[in-house]
Order: sequence, then C-alpha cells, then structure tokens
Amino acid sequence: MKDEIIKIKEEILAELKKVKESEALGNLETKYLGRKGKLTVLLKQIAGLSDEEKKEIGRLANQTKKEMISKFKEIKSVISGKGEDTFVDVTLPGEKRVLGHLHPVTIVQNELEDLFKSMGFMVLDGPELESDYFNFEALNIPSHHPARDMQDTFYVATPHPNPLPHPQPLSFARRGESKERGQEETNVDQSDMVMRTHTSPVQVRGMLKYGAPLRCVAPGRVFRAEAIDAVHEHTFDQMEGLMVDENISISNLIAVMKELINGIFGREVETRVRPGYFPFVEPGIELDIKCTICNGSGCPGCKHSGWLEILPAGQVHPKVLEYGGIDPDKYSGFAFGLGLTRLAMMKYKINDTRLFNSGDLRFLRQF
Amino acid sequence: MYLSLNWLKDFVDIPRSVTAEGLGLKLTTHTVEIDDVILQASKYDNIVVGKIKEVKPHPNADKLQLVLVDIGSSEQEIVCGASNIEAKQKVPMALVGAKLPNGVEITAAEIRGVKSKGMLLAEDELGLGSDHLGILILDKNAKVGQNFGEYLGLKDVVYEVDNKSITHRPDLWSHYGMAREVAAFLNTKTTKLFRNLGQADIVADSEDVEINLKVENQDFCPRYMAVVMDSIKIEESPEWLREKLIAVGERPINNIVDITNYVMLELGQPLHAFDARLLKAEFSTDNKVKIGVRQAKKGETITTLDGEKRDLDENMLLITDQAKPVAIAGVMGGENSEINNETTAIVFESANFEFVSIRKTSAALGLRTEASKRFEKALDPNLCEQALKRTIELINKVCPSAKIVSQVADEKKFKLNQGPIELDLNWLNGFIGQEIKKEKIVNTLVSLGFGVTNKKNKLLVSVPTWRATKDVSIKEDLAEEVARIYGYDNLEFKMPLVKMKAPEINKERQFEREVKNVLVGQGAMEVKNYSFVGEEQLKKLGVEHNKHIRLVNPITKDAGLLRQSLATNLLLNVKTNQARFENFEIFEIGNVFLEVDGNYHKNKSDKDALPMQVKRLGTLVAGEDETNIFGRAKGVVSLLANYFHLPIKYEVMETGPAWAKGGHNARIIIAGAALGTVSRASRECKRKNNIKKAVAIVELDLDKLYRAVNAQGDYSYEEFARFPALTRDLAFVVSEKVLYNDIRDEISGFSELIKKVELFDVYQGEKLGPGKKNLAFHVVYQTERTLTGEEVDGVQNDLIKRLKERFEAQIRDF
Repeated sequence: MKDEIIKIKEEILAELKKVKESEALGNLETKYLGRKGKLTVLLKQIAGLSDEEKKEIGRLANQTKKEMISKFKEIKSVISGKGEDTFVDVTLPGEKRVLGHLHPVTIVQNELEDLFKSMGFMVLDGPELESDYFNFEALNIPSHHPARDMQDTFYVATPHPNPLPHPQPLSFARRGESKERGQEETNVDQSDMVMRTHTSPVQVRGMLKYGAPLRCVAPGRVFRAEAIDAVHEHTFDQMEGLMVDENISISNLIAVMKELINGIFGREVETRVRPGYFPFVEPGIELDIKCTICNGSGCPGCKHSGWLEILPAGQVHPKVLEYGGIDPDKYSGFAFGLGLTRLAMMKYKINDTRLFNSGDLRFLRQF
Repeated sequence: MYLSLNWLKDFVDIPRSVTAEGLGLKLTTHTVEIDDVILQASKYDNIVVGKIKEVKPHPNADKLQLVLVDIGSSEQEIVCGASNIEAKQKVPMALVGAKLPNGVEITAAEIRGVKSKGMLLAEDELGLGSDHLGILILDKNAKVGQNFGEYLGLKDVVYEVDNKSITHRPDLWSHYGMAREVAAFLNTKTTKLFRNLGQADIVADSEDVEINLKVENQDFCPRYMAVVMDSIKIEESPEWLREKLIAVGERPINNIVDITNYVMLELGQPLHAFDARLLKAEFSTDNKVKIGVRQAKKGETITTLDGEKRDLDENMLLITDQAKPVAIAGVMGGENSEINNETTAIVFESANFEFVSIRKTSAALGLRTEASKRFEKALDPNLCEQALKRTIELINKVCPSAKIVSQVADEKKFKLNQGPIELDLNWLNGFIGQEIKKEKIVNTLVSLGFGVTNKKNKLLVSVPTWRATKDVSIKEDLAEEVARIYGYDNLEFKMPLVKMKAPEINKERQFEREVKNVLVGQGAMEVKNYSFVGEEQLKKLGVEHNKHIRLVNPITKDAGLLRQSLATNLLLNVKTNQARFENFEIFEIGNVFLEVDGNYHKNKSDKDALPMQVKRLGTLVAGEDETNIFGRAKGVVSLLANYFHLPIKYEVMETGPAWAKGGHNARIIIAGAALGTVSRASRECKRKNNIKKAVAIVELDLDKLYRAVNAQGDYSYEEFARFPALTRDLAFVVSEKVLYNDIRDEISGFSELIKKVELFDVYQGEKLGPGKKNLAFHVVYQTERTLTGEEVDGVQNDLIKRLKERFEAQIRDF
C-alpha cells in the first residue's frame, strides 16, 4: 500500500512535467484526484486496514494528497498566466493608508531637544501662567525697569488680588517698541501674575531645583499682548538655554553658540556677534547669521542688512545666579534664547505667523 | 533715533579709511544696532532741477496751469496750481516714482483731462520748511537735470539707530555720547569742540530778574536749573542749524525751539523754554519769576503743547508758576507758556526728573515724547549743567541781542554711585576667556570716560557720571565694556571644559512625544490652539465663563479668558475645516488653567501657589456619520491605552460638558482611575455654533496618564500558556439599556476558567425589535491544565443561565 502511494505520486509528478495547457491539466486532475481518480480510490482503501497500519499509512496518504493538491494549484497558476508573466500596472498607487501630521513647531522642537540632549542638556518645563517674580524680578527686571518697555505683557486677574506695581518687560525674543496702552495700566497694577513673556523664568526655576553645575533647555509657549498680523503673534514658542559651571567665559559662550547654530542648520553657518541688551545677562550679545535667503547680499527677509538676528544670549547676570541660589563668585554661566516659531518659519519658508495657531488642516497636513 | 555723520564729525576724528557704511557696521558690532545707513541725498531720488520752458492756462480749469519743464534728458508737461511760476525759472521737480520726504509717492495722473507726469514742489513738500505758498524757486545757476540732493549739496549720511538697543544707555541718546563710543572703538581722538562743549561758565549780563525756585519733591526732581534771558528775537534759525535738524528728521520751527531741540539731540538732555511773560502776569512789575516743582492734584488739568487737555493725578509731576501748572515735568510743556512770535523773554529749564515717575506719567497719559523717552532711561543730573551752558553758547551765537538777566537757579539733591569698582585682571581675562593686554584694557576704559588707577594686579575703576545712574555698577559691566570694544568677533572661541554627565531625562516630555507619535501614526493631525477663549464663545457653547481666570488686558474680547478645556477651541477647528475635509481627526496637547492652587509657586517660598496648570490631551474626530462618531473617538483613546499596556473602560457619565448635553458622554477609566471624558457634541450645540459635522471629543489629563504609565513600571514579558485555550462564542439579545460594562464584568467574573472576554459584534435593527440589541462575544477558557469540551460547555451553559436571569438575555444559536 505504502509503495503504491509513492508510485502514484511519482507518476503524477512525471505527468505534470509534460503538461503545457490548462485543459490537459484538468484532465490529469480528474484522472488522479477526482472522485474516481486513482489516488482517491487508493486512499479509500485505507479504511479497511488494521489500526496500526491505518496510523502509519494514513499519515503518508494525507501528506501525499495535500502535496499533490498544492502541486496542481501551482502548475495551474503558471499555465493560466496568473503568475509573474502577466502584465500588472506597477505604477498604480499602493493601498491607501491614513497618515497623521505633527505640528511644524513640534517637529522643530523635537529636533532641537535632541540636539541639546546630545550635548548634555536637560529639558525642563515651567508654568505658562507665571508669577511676576519669576518672569521679571528674579531675572533682574524690577518694576519700572526701562527694559519692561520692550515687551507687552498679558497680566492675569487673580481671585484675591495681591497688589504689586509694574508695567512691562524684556526678553530674549524681541518685538517692536511697545505701544501705549494707558487705560489698562491701572488695572495691571493689581496683578502679580502674567502669561510668561519668555521662557527665561525657567532658568531661575531650574537653578533653584538643580543647583550648579547645570545645563538645560526649556522649550515652550510664550505670550505677548500684541495685536496679530502676518508677522506678529500674541502666542508663540521659544526655547531657553542655560549653562552654569565653573569658569564659563564669554569665549565659551560664543563657541557653544556657534556650534549650536551649525547643529541647528546642519552645516557651517557664517555668524557675527554684537552687543545686545537683556537685563538678566551681563554682558548680553546678539548672534546673527548670514541671511539664509540672500546669503548676505541683502533682501527683504533680512531688511537688506545681509544678516538675521537669531540667537540672543549672554553671561548670566550675577544677580540672576543669586536669585537661583547659585554663588556667583564660584560659578558663571551663559543663557540663550531661540525662537522655535521663528525657526519653523525659516525652515519651511512660512511667511504668515498666524498659520501656526489657525488649526487649518490645509496648512497642518503639509508637515 | 537718527545720527548724522556730519554731526558726529563735530566731536570725533574719523579716519578717511573708515567709510560711512563701515562706520555703521562698527557701531553695530561694538555699540548699538544700526538699522539703516541712509545717504542723505537719496532722500531726493527722482527729484531733479527743472527749467520752466512755458506756462499756459489749463483748458478746463481756471486755477490750474500747464507747465512745460525741461529736465535735461527730456521735456515734461505737468499740471500745476501754483501762481508764483513763470518761464525760465529753475524749480525742483518730482518725477513719476519719486517718494517725497512727507511720504507722498508721485504717480502719473490725469488732472481735468490733461496728463501730468510729475510735480513741482514747495518747500514743505521737500521737508525743508513749512512754506507751502509757492513752488521753491532755485538759483539761476542750478544745473538742469541735476539730482536735487546734489543741488543742495547734501553729503551727510544718516544712521538709523534701533532704539531698543539703547534702552539701558541714557548717554547714547545723543550725538555727543555716540561720538565718545566711536572714538573708543576706532581708537581715535575726540575733537576740541567735544572737550569744550558746554564747559564755559554762564555769566549773567544783569540780575534784573529774580528766580524764585521751589522744588517740593526732590526725589522726583533731583535737579532743576533755570535761567532767564531777555531781548530775544524769535526768527528762523540759521542754515547750519536747520540743516542738522533736517538731517536727523526734525522740522525746524524757530531759533529758540530749534536750539532746545538741537541741544537735546547733541547732548541728550531735554530742555524746555517758557515764555517768561506768560508765566505770570506780574512779571513786568516786580521782575520775579516763580517756579515750582510739585506733584499734581487729583482733578487738576493742563492743556499741553499739542492742544490736548490732560487729566492729571498725584503721581504726576508738574512745573508751575505762581498760579498754575505750566508743564508736565519731563513730558510736555503747557500751551499757556508756549514760545510765540512775540516772545522776547524766556525761562530756560534744564532739569533732571526721576525715571520711574516719568515712565508712569508718560504711560498713564499715553504720551511718549522725545523728552520722556530720554528721562525714563535715567539721565545724569550733571548733564543739566552742561546742556544749559551749551544752550547759552548757542543762543549767543544765533541771537546775539539776547541778554542773560538772572542768576542761574540750581536746586539739586542727588548722589551717584561712581564706585570705584575693583577689577581683578585675572578675573577679567578668565571671564572674557582670553588674555587682553592691560594697556588695551586701560585705554578702552579711559576712552569711555572711566577713571582708572592701578592697584597691583587690579584696577580701581571709577564710573563716569553719565554711566553711573543705573547702567554700570558691577565688574561684569566693565567686562562688557572691554569685550565689546575689543570686538566679540575678534575673540578666540574656546569650548568649555566641563565634566561629562548624562543629562537627566525629562520623562514627561518623552511621554508626550510618544503620545503624539502614536496619534499621528494612526492618522490624527496635531493642532495648536490659543490658550485663550472668549466669553461669547463659551456662551454659545453653553459653558459657564465666570470661573475662568481672565486676562487683565486682553487684545480682543474673544481671547480674554484662560481656557479650562481643550475642547472649546477644538470645536472651532471643526468650523475652520468642515467645508474642505470630510473626515478628520485632530489632537492638541496643551495646558488648561484652573482656579485652584497648583504645584508651581509664585516665589521662593512654598506658600503662594500659582493656579493649577494641567497638561491635557484633546482629540477630536469629525465626520459625516453621527452613529459611529462616538465609537471612533473611543477607538483613538483605546489605541493609546493599548499602546501603553493599560486597561481601559468607559463608564456612564450623567452630565458631560455643556456642549454635549443630550449627546453622549462617558468617563474614561484607565488603570482604574478616571483620566478623562469622551463626549459627542449635541445637535443643539452644533446648530448654535454652525457645526455641520458629527463630532466627538476625548479629553484626557495627560499628567495623570503619564503617572499611570509610570506606576506600572517596566512592562514584563509573559510566558506562553502551556495548555491550550478553548473558545466559545456567545451571542444574545438584551434590552439596549443593559450596559456592556455590566455584561462583560458578569462574564469575565463568572468563572476562574474564563481568561478573556472579547466583544466582536454589536447589532441593533428591525429584526430584533425596538429597544433591543444583540451582543456577540468570544469567551476564552483557559487554565493550568487541558480543559475538556464537556467541562467548558458545562460552564458556558451555567453562564447562559446566569445571563438569562440577570439580563433577560435571549441566547441566539450559531
């Protein structure tokens, strides 16, 4: 019986080799695997065997039958042309899958966080609704400091007003000269909380929590009381950076800033450094890069100066270190600010800042 | 602020090798940001000298004439209304494309049917004066076709200074102060004029007039100087004076006003000139001038020079005569004592006002003037004296008839901290990060006006008065002076040498990023919405707005409250996109602001807490099909829970957000804790808010979700089961009111052998009859031995019985 099965199997394989068309194949299938086919008939005989034989032969029989069925299928597909020879429009699109999109600011923020982490910086968070103390005072911007002119601040109404006088501040991100808003001034004096105007307060919070030495960045949302147009937003994103250690010099500051810029743009970028003023650093600098649009020849993008302001920075003011609980005689350090929204605008050549918070999917699906 | 190169040259030698552009760049890299370098002649681009060939009447207008003008390269016909023109005159003519100093752009126009290609200009249109009576007639020898700027001999260069970059430098709001900087960074000399400016003592011609000065509040007015001059003739200023003012954008008015402006632009000290006769009626009789400096009274008013009536309060400082306020100190003079053409006697004020008081006053009045801008930077009280002396010098030069008829009144009380600051050169070189020669350091400081004395390896540096009001007080300030004059770009840049240390990982932020990636991976788009919502917006959604924290000074009414939910602005996103997108899923991760104490404190103490700021995840699904929208939203959050290996279920929530009243609401329970909600927008809400899609929103507390993920620790691998599982399917019809949660709990808790219960079908339809639903489950039996079919069937039968009893389930056969 066993031999017979093997014999039929070989017979089938031999005949299959000769088959060239589907009709002949069909006949062959009937001849062996049909209801009265040779193999079928043979297998029916198994029922009459002893239990022990059944076990052994049965397995072989089943296996052979399966093998033959698949062999027939395989040859059938070759003959019928459903195999590799038929024409398929390979240019058709693939099966449709839905793709989501990250917000462009998230993409830029992720890239920068990764860059900084690779240079040993922690990533810190701070509150968006911030106290006057951390947003201004601990950053060496006392009440009525002229620097408060350079930002327009959203003051926040508290349930139990705690009177503290103050108008407006300054930070690493800059805006035009402040507008006059006489009437609100009186109400503003009643609030000791603001929507943070910069990510700089996280500097002091970070120092208080971790002490020195410290390397950290703090990305996040900041707010300015400013009417919105294509180039002004009251809500945008920044990333603050801070490094405090022993013997950190101005030379170190500039070296690191240049390295950062190269890291951000992924290539060597020409820079220049000039004095800048921010009350929480001393000295303060502005690092400009060669305009990425005109490469320095002058264009509307760089107001025809050939340079773009990109990185305000400076040596942390000793008073700010003190507010952060760090001994300025032992440690020094530097701080810097990057405009995430601005970098996203540069990266993707976005010319209208209102798009970022528009929720318009025509914009968001492009990233 | 504008700086004139010619004016700077009065005070500092600028080597020929330094170009105008070059000086602009150096100013930027050493001192202040220069926004623009303007060649003065370029102000008159497209304005040329023209020669009138012919003047004839306009065919359609009596008052207009047609003028044919030769401009060298061609002849142009223009329409002109001026009456002072005739043939052969030379006149300034603006060509099409010219932009006049007053901002008007010249275009080709048709005036009463005749084409006019240009315009003849009057003095005021050229920014040269106030005369608008006729066209400016030029010199006979003027060259036809020549650029008008060249004709005027304009060779000055004007620098536009970014005012933001000098907020901390009261001394730089002037040509004098800037010249000092230029001398320092060019390493060149200041001029004799620089050294002598305003140094000569004021010698009174007579003491006929007595000044009775009373400063009530010396904290607000550290110094007040005044002098009276008589026999003054108000007239036009001489050319040299007018030229300089025009160069920096000031319009000349008359000799006295021009001189006060000139001194302010030159030295940075605002001055004020009062008509002495207007100060008080009795002036002519008893020859006394009474000047008071005091705080205003509540309800007091003054009409300022600009003609506005100003309401004053106690925080404002006033200059008064015997009877009335005559100026708001440091901000603006009063109309009642203004210089006019008949003025002959003048009180000159050169005073110093405290910066905070000026700032507050200026802000409260909404009035920011050239004077207040300077005072609020904290000017040096010593400057009053130099400026007053300089004023007298100029008056004598411009108006030789003028006589000083009083002594100089001078009330002062101030103290400046001029140091000295001890500057350790080792520290300095370490702080800058480069060895700079001692000689260079000393030179730099001295050229900037600092006093330097040696003390071993240290310098004792005294601060000049003009930097001592607030600007320079610590050694870091001195380091800046040295480093910036040396030039930051000239330093050698060295990387810091620090200990290597792996940064602490911010797991929350990493988690947030992971969440975003999961959501994006399954097709959602990230949005960022404002943190603000509006009262109207909330009202329309039926949301209570009274408990929201609010902005004191919102930009617009629709963004005056801090959001307490992400859903409110996500709903607006539907309106933005519903016309263009059929189905979409969006999400936002952002803070909401609640009126309870949060984790952050307001200051170093642990007492005052800032309001709670919670990071939330909001996910919105929008589509056409109202029946599956709730399920789609839940699908998103279930996927998220699965990703983090956390069990999730939904519980009935009787009251959801107001916008979902009558919609569907469920509480999301993840790992046993309520972490958020899912709601479907109600029909009423959609109608009121013009939302045309089926909408459901999930809102989760992301901080809590993070804690849940964190609490379970690392996920550990589970070994494969050693014994096979048996699966039985179970389908039955129950009332639609019977909750899935109850049924699932009943089944999974029914026997220890039941390992898993999975709902695979829900059906509701006519066949079942109203109020019924059919649920189909896979029930998986498994334990630590091989189960037999009989055993499982037994349990399953008992289970069916139980379901019949408890839920009146009608079992369906497969």
